Amino acid sequence: MTLGRYASRRVALGLVQVLVVLVAVFLLVEALPGDAAVALAGDNPDPARVAAIRASMGLDQSAVERFVGWLGGLVTGDLGTSLVSGRPVVDFIAGGLPTTLLLAGVTLLLLVPSSVLLGVFVARRAGRGVDRVVTAATIGLHAVPEFALAIVLVALFGVTLGWLPPTALGADPLADPLVLVLPVIVLLARPLCAITRLVRAAMIDALASDYVRHARRLGLSRSRVDYRHALPNALAPAVQQLARTTDWLLGGVIVVEAVFVIPGLGTALVDAVAGRDMPVVQGLAVLFGVTTVLVNLAADLLAFRLAPRAGTAA
Amino acid sequence: MLLAVPLVIAVVGPWFVGEVERGRAFVDRGVLGTDFVGRDVLELVLGGGRSVVGIALVATGVSYAVGVPLALVAAMARRRWLDEVVMRPLDVVLAVPSLLVLILVAGIAPRGYGTVVVVVAVVTVPDLVRVVRAAALEVASRPALEAMRLQGETRRRLAFGYVVPAVAPTLVADLGVRITTSLYLVASAGFLGVGVAPDAADWAVMVDRNQAGLFLIPSAVVVPALLIIAWSVGVNLVFDRAVRR
Amino acid sequence: MSDPFPTLRRRGFLALAGGLALAGCASSPGQSAPRSGGRVRAAFAGGGAKEVLDPHMASLFVEAARSKALYDKLADFGDDLTPVPRLAEKWESNADATVWRVSLRQATFHDGRPVRAADVLSSYARILDPKRAFRAKASLAVIDLTASREVDDRTVEFVLTRPYVEFPNALATFSAYIIPESTEDFARPVGSGPFSFSSFTPGRSTVVKRYADYWDGAAKLDELEFVLANEESARVNALLAGQVEYAHDLSPVTARAHEAGGRVRILRSPNSGIQAFAMKVDRPPFDNRDLREAMFLLADRPQLVESVLSGSGQVANDLYGKGYRHYADDIPQRARDLDKARFLIKRAGADGLKVALNTSEAATGFVEAATVLADQARQAGITLDVTVGDKDTFWSDTLKNGSLSSFRSGAMPIESHLSQRLLSKSTTNVTKWARPEFDALYDKAVSTVDAGVRDSVYQEMQRTLHAEGGYLVWGFADWVVGTSPSVDGVGTAPANTLGWARFDRVWLR
Repeated sequence: MTLGRYASRRVALGLVQVLVVLVAVFLLVEALPGDAAVALAGDNPDPARVAAIRASMGLDQSAVERFVGWLGGLVTGDLGTSLVSGRPVVDFIAGGLPTTLLLAGVTLLLLVPSSVLLGVFVARRAGRGVDRVVTAATIGLHAVPEFALAIVLVALFGVTLGWLPPTALGADPLADPLVLVLPVIVLLARPLCAITRLVRAAMIDALASDYVRHARRLGLSRSRVDYRHALPNALAPAVQQLARTTDWLLGGVIVVEAVFVIPGLGTALVDAVAGRDMPVVQGLAVLFGVTTVLVNLAADLLAFRLAPRAGTAA
Repeated sequence: MLLAVPLVIAVVGPWFVGEVERGRAFVDRGVLGTDFVGRDVLELVLGGGRSVVGIALVATGVSYAVGVPLALVAAMARRRWLDEVVMRPLDVVLAVPSLLVLILVAGIAPRGYGTVVVVVAVVTVPDLVRVVRAAALEVASRPALEAMRLQGETRRRLAFGYVVPAVAPTLVADLGVRITTSLYLVASAGFLGVGVAPDAADWAVMVDRNQAGLFLIPSAVVVPALLIIAWSVGVNLVFDRAVRR
Repeated sequence: MSDPFPTLRRRGFLALAGGLALAGCASSPGQSAPRSGGRVRAAFAGGGAKEVLDPHMASLFVEAARSKALYDKLADFGDDLTPVPRLAEKWESNADATVWRVSLRQATFHDGRPVRAADVLSSYARILDPKRAFRAKASLAVIDLTASREVDDRTVEFVLTRPYVEFPNALATFSAYIIPESTEDFARPVGSGPFSFSSFTPGRSTVVKRYADYWDGAAKLDELEFVLANEESARVNALLAGQVEYAHDLSPVTARAHEAGGRVRILRSPNSGIQAFAMKVDRPPFDNRDLREAMFLLADRPQLVESVLSGSGQVANDLYGKGYRHYADDIPQRARDLDKARFLIKRAGADGLKVALNTSEAATGFVEAATVLADQARQAGITLDVTVGDKDTFWSDTLKNGSLSSFRSGAMPIESHLSQRLLSKSTTNVTKWARPEFDALYDKAVSTVDAGVRDSVYQEMQRTLHAEGGYLVWGFADWVVGTSPSVDGVGTAPANTLGWARFDRVWLR
């Protein structure tokens, strides 16, 4: 199958996936206890008041009616308005997207070269001291949850030493990039460990394979063999993991945004779920779903190129 | 050694735990001070390994038992539809942000160890299948496999006799990462109110709940965190060594 | 993660004739002389991008603090929850407290227009609009709007639907702010408060600047910025690093960790958070009076205060509102008596009882307190199964379901507590305490003009609640605020009162 046909099939599939995601998220949020009215009433859940809020939000309509109405709006490009504040959902996305993109973008930009280089570096020295140290360090660091790492780094560099701003409170990350240093380090830590380890393992595997040995026997230089022949094969699993990292980044972003007070999409999502603000949750789910599907698609296409499967290709 | 200390504490520790005593939170009392509700940190450390170690192992085991066969089926499928049938539903699950899954499941599912295992599996399996499939795909396209197939080897024997050993290094590297991820998810799940009780004697829970006292009683966070790290590193090193043999 | 349910409460109480020493001016040793100028950044927990500027919709602490900077109410609460005149200069009622005449101060909105009786009536009409669901509605519902009228530009006559001596409590009720007549657009809010609006970015920051013509004396600060940080650790870190000068709602543990360092100043407001467990008296097992008393007796309050509040609070006596007006101070403090508790449990036939204790992360310390109480109950032979529910719907869930739940409340007058939670028709009656004779006592209290007689009725009601009520009130938590050492003039009044978050009295050294 050609790459083009494969790609177009996958895009069509992606659309179906996004739709399924939307239905799933809607059902899950519907299944949560309470609704936006109950959440808004908070510690003053006077039943009459809750009922009035519910009516004013249009929550007295059935779930199906609301979902179909929202979906109709989506087709015409209208993501709806927040139940709680009455502001358009697009505002929520536009408000958080640049920050989150910046955070995730910088992280990915640093992640890919550093993890591949580190993975190859230790793979070529497998079994030696440096390999053992790096391996132990990556496993150890990977076991540290983001919030714990963030707290330690903030306590050390932000508060005790005072070298870096401990939060991004009141700052504009674009104007003051220093506030992003600690958040990016925290976001980078776990994926870096995971991908480094995968690259290392796959690379060791590839280096021991027949064709690499064969290439060496042919007299090609070691680095040429390693980087031109072994590495591309070793990258296939890492590329898949990288695709997943985008999703992990979102999870990490939620934690990092909370700890460092960065008002991005993660914060918006948590707030929207807490407030049962369905249109906002749905709008963000569209964005996240589309992103994840696109990234996985890209990863599949890349893996397809790195290790095409003759005849039976998916 | 790295593995031994946490493992011994996890298995033997609970025998040494007495009746709970309470005092002020985060004060320097006893060997390691007190935790966020005024309990003795040392006793909690002793009692808190079993669930962490246990849940992480069970959850990871379940993920592998489900994920690896699926990945092999997908990778070695001669007919494309079989690959598609396996992969596409997983892609759908993948497209839902895992944290959203956690948040939502936290709101719906009953508290309990079973829920944690299911959540960890739901979050890990799609991911695991993709990684293993990608690695197996590369192996499955090797000429050697084609040759063996022509010699009439059964599919199952090919899968477990040839493909699994060939992808083992990737699997083991992934397993190490996966166990630590499970540990991490157990902690997050506790935080979200899905898993173990919020005041459970559990290393992962302790790291989370005692962070407020980091400046007062660092040991309440650092000791369980170090044990978790030692346990993860130990497990990984043991696996690495096993593969090298 | 976030704490979207601050303990904001509304409603007001008795106007003792005016003069009350206001908090916010409470001076602490080593305070500098007030000075004008500068900008203070104040970090609060917030509701994210969904927050709004409409003062009548305020429910979070940050919304309350911001509304207080931009707007005024007719009255507000002093430190002991007695209403203090604000935009109202004075009030007086007829003999049976059914008609109240309120005189307004000479005050102006930020656009220069005077605050008139018409603005007051229009603001209240908006809150009472039957099609809407503003929080202050229940408290103001006693007003008969069609019969009420403006006497002149600065005098309003309120006609009530029933005798209500405590009407000034309603004027001070949470979020009953006065807005210019017929305002519906709050994109650029105009109020009569000490600060006027500059800018607003939802979920991030609100900037306000000094209003020079404020009726109560212009603020010292040139500018005030509210920034949002839901994580307590982020608020304190930002304060330590000088990114903000005021951090609201810190934990007692944080206070202890940083108090001695000299990098921040810690301020504690006593009697701010009422910590309790609510037993539902209308259903098994707590419909049994002996069992309720056993619960009162098995609780080890000092241990709860030590463990959960980290010692930053006081032991309570199963009654609401210590230090507030009408609090029954002469009832002896209850202490732990395990033997008597076991005896009562046996008499109630509740040996080996197993009951769910519903809690959630809806408020700080809930889960901790629940687990500590469960330990204490185990020693008396009762198993409390701590069930952690959804934090976002906790209050609504526990109003209807279960039989035992965590409870907390912010400051409000004792009369408001009684009327909102302990009458047959109360809308948030968690303990399901509904007794006609108790309702009658309440009606008697709020229609008795004689202050001494009224106080004795309140005492009687509290004695009943102490003996057999549904609230196991175990502690009063301090409210903790941190400021930079350069900030002076921050008061230590209970949250939700006039002296709380009163930035017009704050200055920079």
